[in-house]
Amino acid sequence: MQCDGSESAFRDVGMKNLARRALFTIGAFVSLAVLSFLGIDALPGDGCTALLGRFGTEAKIAECRVEHHLNDPVVVRLGSWASDVVQGDLGYSIKRDEQVAQIVLPRIRNTAMLALVAALMAFPTAIVAGLLIGRFPRSRIGRAINTLGVVAMTLPEFVIATILWLVFSIWIPIFPGVTVVPSNATFVELLPHIWMPALTLAAVVFAHSMRTMKAGVTTIQAMPFVESARLRGTKERVTLLRHILPAALPPVVNTIAVDAAWLLTGTFVTEAIFNYRGLGRLTIDAISDRDTAVILPIVLFSLGAYLTMSLIADTVVRLLDPRLRQHRS
Amino acid sequence: MNNLPQHRSTRIRTFVYCVLGFHAVVALIAPFLPLMPTDKQDSGAMLQGFSSAHWLGTDALGRDVLSRALHGGRPSLVIAILATALSAVIGIALGSLAALAGGWVDEALSRLIDFLLALPTLILLLLIASFFGHDPFILIVTLGFMYAAPIARVARASTQVLLARDFVRVARLQGGRGVNILLGEVLPNVWRVVFTEIAMQFTWIILAFSSLSFLGLGASPPTPEWGLMIAEARSYMTINPTAVIAPIVMLASLVLAVQALVDRE
Repeated sequence: MQCDGSESAFRDVGMKNLARRALFTIGAFVSLAVLSFLGIDALPGDGCTALLGRFGTEAKIAECRVEHHLNDPVVVRLGSWASDVVQGDLGYSIKRDEQVAQIVLPRIRNTAMLALVAALMAFPTAIVAGLLIGRFPRSRIGRAINTLGVVAMTLPEFVIATILWLVFSIWIPIFPGVTVVPSNATFVELLPHIWMPALTLAAVVFAHSMRTMKAGVTTIQAMPFVESARLRGTKERVTLLRHILPAALPPVVNTIAVDAAWLLTGTFVTEAIFNYRGLGRLTIDAISDRDTAVILPIVLFSLGAYLTMSLIADTVVRLLDPRLRQHRS
Repeated sequence: MNNLPQHRSTRIRTFVYCVLGFHAVVALIAPFLPLMPTDKQDSGAMLQGFSSAHWLGTDALGRDVLSRALHGGRPSLVIAILATALSAVIGIALGSLAALAGGWVDEALSRLIDFLLALPTLILLLLIASFFGHDPFILIVTLGFMYAAPIARVARASTQVLLARDFVRVARLQGGRGVNILLGEVLPNVWRVVFTEIAMQFTWIILAFSSLSFLGLGASPPTPEWGLMIAEARSYMTINPTAVIAPIVMLASLVLAVQALVDRE
């Protein structure tokens, strides 16, 4: 696309805004990270009580605390933790006797694969469905899809998962009901087990972007520029794809970003049901073990996922919507 | 032709009210109904299907599914109603005060709301439920604070719009004090919009609590609670599916009815 001077000036303004937004995101992340450290530190129990459990004697727990520097003041521990994290060291789990990075990273990978499959199932279909349902609001199939989507969006995941399980693993056994692969399985090994949890997650998020799309199409169809395209005799397909779709897309990007962050960080229940060894199951395990060393990086990851996704969404929306490049100065 | 959709939507609305009424009545009178005790185990009749003694069969411990399904909404409803009330009070207070005060107070309160919105809700809930046990009071307070932020945001935005309206300016010129204007002029008018948001939060709170129970961190056995019942009966789904389906139908109908009430489409 060719840009003349004035437009690139506008783009600069947009970019400056974006840089400020990115700085704000980093600031928010750092302050939330410090707050999370302090908050988790304030919870009763620490790595040593988690390791020794309720049978640990006072003396043993005290010894363990000295060994792992847990008696240092909070500020000192916060400082050493922060400098470790900056250098890429996520810490060490006393309970699991393992580097936290080695525990968390494979799980993040598994959850990311699950999220990717679910996203590929949900978002493209949601955009197409929203476009068509908005364009043909009286269609019976469209209404049925809309209602089904809203029902799936409203029900809790464990209900959807249980229904899908009942249908696709027991009545019509096409998918395995429970994952029995180790957490470091390859993608190909994992693939047969990914469909059911991915379908559950896709069902939950589908309606959000579909409805945003539909609402956008409904509003935009009534606008003069669409009418003028139709009056010029533009083909219906072209009107839909070249005029309505680009105008309706920006709000959907925001919805997708929120859902994508949720897919990466909010899948506890689905993973627990299908015994999928991702971040969600690790979170539940770590929380019931009181393994704060593992909980902390998970909290940071989910904060980071939300902040990054909303930053990406803002950038994409700015690229898609020329008006924002001009007006926000 | 024009009347048709109108008719349909009123019929749906009536149906929705009936479902909500059913849930309210059942939750209130379940202990007085002639049902089996929810924790009475019948070791001779485990995982049975429909029978005259147990209309919806029994679960893995031989407990009556019908009785448990009808009692199962009580814990979630009590917790969700109290938590929603708390989050409504906090949310409306924060949001409307921020809009009314303006200036640095507004700025500070808005940042607080943003902060609450950014919290990873489910992880926090899991942490608190796990570390502080099954104490319903702590759960209610936590849920109340966490779900207050969206209400505060809506309350702030709609109060701001109203404050610029003429009748509010007249009330101000007549010498009305801030609090009186808030209670007398603003709240009655923002209530409708805010109520929609509150009802949404109510469904989220019910879902959050039943998810917690499903994961074993909400209601503790042998309490009859839908999320917990589904979790317990899932393993025996092939033997007696009604033990899973009954709580699913109850939970789904309640949540969907509230959603349909809120959703104007």
